[in-house]
Amino acid sequence: MIDFNLQRTQGSFGLNVKSILDAPVIGLFGPSGAGKSTLLGMIAGLVKPHSGHLILDGEALFDSQRGVDVPIYQRRIGVVFQDSRLFPHLNIRDNLNYGFNLLAVKDRHFSFAQIVELLEIGHLLAQKPHQISGGEKQRVSLGRALLTSPRLLLLDEPLASLDVRLKYQILPFLRRVKDEINIPMVYVSHAIDEILYLTSQIVMIEQGKLLAQGHFHEIIHQDNLQNMAYSLGLENVISATIASHDKVYASTVLTQGNQTIVIPQVAAETGTQVTISIPASSVALSLSHLDNVTIQNQLQGLVTDIKQAGYRILVTVDIGESQIVAEVTTKALEALNIAVGSSVYCLLKAQAIRAHGFIPSGIVAS
Amino acid sequence: MNLSFFILSPAEIEALLLSAKVAIFCTLVICIPGVAVAWLLAKKSFIGKSLLDSIVHLPLVLPPVVPGFLLLLLLGNQGLIGKWLQVTFGINIAFTWIGAVIASAVMAFPLMVRSARLAINQVDAGLEAAAQSLGANPLRVFFTITLPLALPGIVTGLILAFSRSLGEFGATITFVGNIEGETRTLPLAIYTYTQVPGGDMAAMRLVILSMIIALGALMISDLLERKATKNIGRGLREQDDD
Repeated sequence: MIDFNLQRTQGSFGLNVKSILDAPVIGLFGPSGAGKSTLLGMIAGLVKPHSGHLILDGEALFDSQRGVDVPIYQRRIGVVFQDSRLFPHLNIRDNLNYGFNLLAVKDRHFSFAQIVELLEIGHLLAQKPHQISGGEKQRVSLGRALLTSPRLLLLDEPLASLDVRLKYQILPFLRRVKDEINIPMVYVSHAIDEILYLTSQIVMIEQGKLLAQGHFHEIIHQDNLQNMAYSLGLENVISATIASHDKVYASTVLTQGNQTIVIPQVAAETGTQVTISIPASSVALSLSHLDNVTIQNQLQGLVTDIKQAGYRILVTVDIGESQIVAEVTTKALEALNIAVGSSVYCLLKAQAIRAHGFIPSGIVAS
Repeated sequence: MNLSFFILSPAEIEALLLSAKVAIFCTLVICIPGVAVAWLLAKKSFIGKSLLDSIVHLPLVLPPVVPGFLLLLLLGNQGLIGKWLQVTFGINIAFTWIGAVIASAVMAFPLMVRSARLAINQVDAGLEAAAQSLGANPLRVFFTITLPLALPGIVTGLILAFSRSLGEFGATITFVGNIEGETRTLPLAIYTYTQVPGGDMAAMRLVILSMIIALGALMISDLLERKATKNIGRGLREQDDD
């Protein structure tokens, strides 16, 4: 459990954050420059707060009033950096052993062999960092931090410098670490998909302040997150259950209340609960069921709200157990004579639906 | 000109060996303080930093006679510290080869510090932070990360200092004089030969010898630097290219 209340001013940028984080994996999400890395740096001890306190599992690591500031090397907090920071003069084995050898035997929770096997880096041990790929570097960096048996693992945009394909090769390893190793993690990213692949417990940060905290599905509809939800195309976040897979058409059928939604195939068993999203701009409305279109998802519902947000017109449709927001033009709205209470069909293109927590179809993890 | 031209006289051999001895001791003497001062200037901010920086570099910009003269005032037999050393311990520095070591150490020190400082500055602070997050205290970080990564630059600094010491003239002749067998190093011997009639041949021999030594030092420096850089990996600033 991390209990913090930290302040720091840096030029015109001020960071003032206060919260208690208590979940196995927490995703710290926010746009670039929101203060995510600074917050992470303050927890690790790399950045000194100007005031406040930081308590990890009951131990004060920083307290400006009591003059406590535990140095980085005594905090036992593992950090995985975006740029991996492997020591260029040491081979992979010595990099992995760097912190491990400094640790008293009784404090070692994992063996060298165990971590090497978990991250599949055994074939790299004799290599130098410049000889291995970016994805391998991040795995080694993760292993190096894990071998110090940290009380908390901080991941600072660990995949940001990798291309999409590599990213989805590394994510399963992170999930494996989460599932097999019992170390609380704080995962910082400006890519919501990465975070949702690992956890649904999110802390939203913007301009140095915490906006929201909790289950992604619950906080994304909060009023103060509407702009962020819009910029991320996350106006519609829905929970649904996997009903069946259609192997022939490589699609998965979901049920949500009495509605059926077809999405590109995801690798999960029938009955699994999944979170899907579709941008409001990818939702079209129709007054009747259409037979001659390629769009398979036509969800019938009643319009409950029409509002103008800037230049956008957002129509909210109640489809039973949840709501779908569609972005339409004024002209279309008037032409179809849609008003509150109208019965409409929401047209969702299957390919525009994202299933969170899964590797997107089309990206082959080799 | 016959082959006998290349045979050194005993006095010339003595000058050569003395030069080597002075240069080796000079390099050994400034090695640790040089790295320490370079580290201070590269990584720390403290009151009087720019003053220390200036003092260290002063010998580079002053005429060598000036540091030599100041050393004489300080460590000479009638000097502030020299007199005390003489009276208390019976140690005499002026006009001895040890004095020559001190004179060339003062002159070579800034070269060593400049090179080492640059090298330490270029060590990525992110790597040092990463090492700390893995549980290494600052001292360990210095010896396991900073020092090995800065080694090529430190080696370059030491070789520069060694070469500077071999060539030291002004401060040495001012501080410890030109005593055959005690303080007459190669440059002083060359100077001496040019001052006596018929000494041109001997001077030329020593000039050629000096050039060979200087070339050798530069080549060894290059070799060591390349080896050390290779050991670190293909340069530190390299980006991921995958």
